[in-house]
Amino acid sequence: MNARFSLGIDLGTSNSAVAANNFEEDEPSIVEITQILRPNQIGESSTLPSALYLPHPDEFPEDALKLPWVNDSRTAIIGHFAREHGALIPDRLVTSAKSWLSNFHVDPRRPVLPWKSEINEPKLSAFDCSRLYLEHLKEGFLYAEQLQGRNWDLSEGQIVLTVPASFDEVARNLTAEAAEAAGLGRVILLEEPQAAFYAWTARAGGSWRNQVNSGDIILVCDVGGGTADFSLIAISGKDGNLELERISVGEHILLGGDNMDLALAYTLQAQLESTGKSLDAWQFLALTHAASRAKVDLFNDESLAQAPISVPSRGSSLFAKTISTTLDRPTLEQVVLDGFFPITKVNDLPTERRSSGLQEFGLPYASDPIVSKHLARFLTRSLVNVKASDSLKAFVGSSAEATDYLRPTAVLFNGGVFNAAPIRKRVLELLTSWNGGQPVRELEGFQPDLAVAKGAALYGRHRATGKGIRIKAGTARSYYVGLESSMPAIPGFKPPIKALCVVPQGMEEGSELLIEEKEFGLITGQPAEFRFFASEVRSGDTPGQIIPNAESELEETSRLEVTLPAIEGLPEGQPLPVQMNPVVTELGNLELWMKHTGSDRRWKVDFQVRME
Amino acid sequence: MRLEPRLRFQERAIPKMKSYVLIAAALIAVLNALLLIPAMSAYTIPIAALALLLAIAVLALSLFERRETPAPPPPPVVAKPPPPPPERHVEAEVVAFIGLLQEKGRLVDFLMDDVSLYDDSRVGAAARVVHFGCRDVLQEHFKVTPISDAEEGSHVMIPEDYSVDEYRLMGKITGNPPFKGVLLHKGWKTEFVKLPRIIKTGDKRLPSIAPALVEIK
Repeated sequence: MNARFSLGIDLGTSNSAVAANNFEEDEPSIVEITQILRPNQIGESSTLPSALYLPHPDEFPEDALKLPWVNDSRTAIIGHFAREHGALIPDRLVTSAKSWLSNFHVDPRRPVLPWKSEINEPKLSAFDCSRLYLEHLKEGFLYAEQLQGRNWDLSEGQIVLTVPASFDEVARNLTAEAAEAAGLGRVILLEEPQAAFYAWTARAGGSWRNQVNSGDIILVCDVGGGTADFSLIAISGKDGNLELERISVGEHILLGGDNMDLALAYTLQAQLESTGKSLDAWQFLALTHAASRAKVDLFNDESLAQAPISVPSRGSSLFAKTISTTLDRPTLEQVVLDGFFPITKVNDLPTERRSSGLQEFGLPYASDPIVSKHLARFLTRSLVNVKASDSLKAFVGSSAEATDYLRPTAVLFNGGVFNAAPIRKRVLELLTSWNGGQPVRELEGFQPDLAVAKGAALYGRHRATGKGIRIKAGTARSYYVGLESSMPAIPGFKPPIKALCVVPQGMEEGSELLIEEKEFGLITGQPAEFRFFASEVRSGDTPGQIIPNAESELEETSRLEVTLPAIEGLPEGQPLPVQMNPVVTELGNLELWMKHTGSDRRWKVDFQVRME
Repeated sequence: MRLEPRLRFQERAIPKMKSYVLIAAALIAVLNALLLIPAMSAYTIPIAALALLLAIAVLALSLFERRETPAPPPPPVVAKPPPPPPERHVEAEVVAFIGLLQEKGRLVDFLMDDVSLYDDSRVGAAARVVHFGCRDVLQEHFKVTPISDAEEGSHVMIPEDYSVDEYRLMGKITGNPPFKGVLLHKGWKTEFVKLPRIIKTGDKRLPSIAPALVEIK
């Protein structure tokens, strides 16, 4: 393909953005996305809030919510107005659809969103929502370019879509499929922390090579509106010929800036209620907005001791009914810095999730709000992962033996939360305290809201032109297929499930394997099911290796299903010998195939959601 | 797209200019016709003077108008030209903009309420709502910067090639540029206007500034 431009799409949990890089220009630029701002009004913004609103058929005049590229009156609204208006009518609002893609208690293809609402209109699935967001971003890009007098053919572009590093293969495949359904064709997937790192190298210009050294372990610390995502990138090589490898990724943590704003709003609400003032639901929302603004003002200007908060009522009487209070600095620091980023010990890990059988299968929000502890858990698990293989152990050297966690030497911050300098400072202090007082560097020059989209466009450019750096990554996890234990059934004793490693961690794009260690007998015409497991801390496992107790060692992610068609010349009901044949495509998608041992025929295995 | 508001102003300025030229021409014709009526001969001089004054006023106004609306730069080439604006489009956009100030900064609530009934602390609390909200609107849709970076009260020299609409001279105005003086107000300008666009106005009725809110239980 002779690409003429690259497109970087950051499909975020709370905000999305697009950057385009015309190869005739040096740098990617952010695409201003046209969206509905109010009924009858459209305008542009550099981000598209990832919020979807399903209006009642009589709620707005016909065509009042029509985008320039839409010919029919569509039902769902996406973006700014959806978020602002929907906040007051939660029954019709979908947010965090992306996190539902990796929630395997609810089928991402089942129309259940808005979650637990009682509307009469048809609901949407997490997959539908992602497809609609991507469609809007695609059309928004084409429309913005048309206004500039340019008409692009998407097939002439290298399109890169970012996903959290914490997404497993099933969620990644769903995202890629949503992009295809949205008319983006086959996109390349890139982990968000890596995109942030590419953006940093571009922003630092040629000097980035002087800012990192061989032996550095860089922590990409990304805390956005709704999620926290961590990765480690190791630098090796010498004489300016640096090599980068992503050596560890974190788990999916639903904890972000929105939690901080809410915590502040609850604190202020208690403050108001103690003086006899009460707030309705709308005022609470306004209070959350005001608290967020006050937080930004106080964090940006260290000389301010407090920030005023005024919350109007819903009615038109502004003078009589406005409630006011102040947010003072000690309260802010106590709620945000000490509440979410306290200086904890590195062995102080988050309290485990509730595992009550009656738990509702909504989104698995982090039950421990302390980001410091999640970071400690990530760095502890990273060390376990790195120690598991000799090639990764080489990156950390002997220093790793002395500690219980993997020490980063530098940090790259990303995500809206780190706009605030005091929060960045606090995280650096935390890492320094774990490091026995030895400071950890901050890599300067980030742009937390738009860096991921820009980095993705840059990566697309590097791939299409063959120039520029590439981070060595491969699959972030290793994957396993459950094997039914052949032990005899004993009452009161559940035999352990063994698992076969089919995909090692770091399996590279454009490669495939044949697992010859184990042969499966599949009966044609009958669906066969397997349990599917993953781990992000077992870098040493090799294809074909058997893990004796899958349920305690690994994490179950989904179910695999395959049905072999009837084959000519083979009597029905007779088992057909097949072997696992994992493939990582050039675009970074993992596919599993069952290959007939006697011929070249093979059948693709589908990932199914594991229902409980 | 940013040029849109300016182009629209241009479109509106021309019919406005035409209308007063037409009215003035009709008035001058009437005054001249009056001169032909014998009974009016006693008023020849005042009528002629009035007609002359009107003519001068029209000339001055048209010159002024030309200054106010310099020739616009050629519009950028766009792939899809927007459809011709429907009736009352400009008015609808102004209402939508006031609606924006109301939605974000409760400006209409603030101005329509009776301020005399409340003490300064109540007015102050309400003013913060208006200030934060309207400032957001200003920052989102305009890029407002001061015209002069000098401190108010200091001596400044107005650049020789200054734009007439950016500096207003007060006090004794004599001599040629560059002018020197004391800066009384630093002035404001906007580097761009990025207003939301109206999808359609439909009927001839103006849109609402803010809808009445009704909660369905």
